[in-house]
Amino acid sequence: MATARPGWSRRAQYGLFFSFLALIAGLLFGLILLALSLLAPAKFQQIRGAALDLTAPAASSLRGVTTTVEGLGSGASDYWDATSQNGELKRERTAMLRRMVEAKAIFQENQQLKALLHLREHEPATVAIGRVVGSSFNSPRRFAILSAGTRDGVQVGMPVRSADGLVGRIIDAGALGSRVLLVSDRANIVPARLLRGGMPVISQGRGDGTIDVRPLEVGRNPFRRGDIIITSGTGGLYPPLVPIARVVKLDDDGAVAVPLADPANISFATVEPPYEPAAIDSQASPDQDVP
Amino acid sequence: MVRSALATKRRIGQGPKPFAGYIPAATVVFASFLTALPVISTSGWYPDFGFLALISWRLLRSDPWPAWWAAPLGLVNDLFTGFPVGFSVTLWSATMLALDLVDRRTMWRDYWIEWGLAAVLLAANEWLQWRVAALSGARVPFLAVVPALVIGLCIFPISAWVVSRIDRWRLGR
Repeated sequence: MATARPGWSRRAQYGLFFSFLALIAGLLFGLILLALSLLAPAKFQQIRGAALDLTAPAASSLRGVTTTVEGLGSGASDYWDATSQNGELKRERTAMLRRMVEAKAIFQENQQLKALLHLREHEPATVAIGRVVGSSFNSPRRFAILSAGTRDGVQVGMPVRSADGLVGRIIDAGALGSRVLLVSDRANIVPARLLRGGMPVISQGRGDGTIDVRPLEVGRNPFRRGDIIITSGTGGLYPPLVPIARVVKLDDDGAVAVPLADPANISFATVEPPYEPAAIDSQASPDQDVP
Repeated sequence: MVRSALATKRRIGQGPKPFAGYIPAATVVFASFLTALPVISTSGWYPDFGFLALISWRLLRSDPWPAWWAAPLGLVNDLFTGFPVGFSVTLWSATMLALDLVDRRTMWRDYWIEWGLAAVLLAANEWLQWRVAALSGARVPFLAVVPALVIGLCIFPISAWVVSRIDRWRLGR
């Protein structure tokens, strides 16, 4: 459609005109789809899952190559300052040993106290283990692609964690791969608390890889640099006592924290069933706020 | 002898490749599929490769594909990249319409005009992405998407160059 008329050919003129009509139809169709996916995100779960099955295997096969290359780089740099690193690690190890003995004693005491209280204990169940193989690197949203899907038992809404800390929750599930809403996404709000003191806080992503933490009660800013934020288990989706982030900067009424589980560095992430499914069912649909 | 040396170099068997009409659309789908690259970014500063490929083709030629193909191509991009379904369908169709209007208005085209148009389109893309993210509950400050826009602008010349090479290859020139 460089010029208004392609010539005297009636056929070419009609062709252009119908192509133009089809383009307008496509535009309207797109607007309807967009409205639907903003208002009722669950509508497109099937088709989004099917598309994930195309991208996730490709990403996971390429991921092996990049991990090897990254490993070569970091491996070489580890040799560079091996001596000083060695001394530091030895000091850390002795300190850790001391702390571990303390922790074991506390754990035993805790077991006895819980037995006294007859507290119902959740044993952590693992649904599936996958690797983080990709991310939404071209959008303001923070998603990651996990190499485990419905074939492994993954369902939409399940929490995802790694050994380092909380990763996020599943929002799309294909047969071979799934999409995770990371804790650093703006729409991911996690009920949490401060490890030091146990004060309840709210963690919300900032979209740039960091997290905003705010105290539930207005008042003095309770955060200090280096504080660890853990999940509280409120709401029933995320299990309690999973580390989320470490505070790096204070601002006027809260703090900025960095997730402990960096999706670029964790090798494996485990998908767990929702902590208290009954609590979630009684609330509104948990994935209301995702696209 | 002399005449044959002066004649243009025209080799036998050089012409449009088979399926030359589908190659532009195929490259756009391939660019959308680049989202499967195992890049794990926590900032989201990478450009939207599918959209870059689309505007590079459309700014190079007025007829890389029938205009309405923008809608299905956008749907493919939405599904691969995880944007809300319908986002790229709308934006890409609107882009084709806008560029048809621009084609009627501009007297001439040069590299700076194309880059300027690309800047406007990329900015519209980033702004809409930011707006849609805010509507779906992820309201981030607009400054957070500005680096992505700048990076996209710097990558557009490379994408335009690659597309022009592919165009010459597919037409056998």
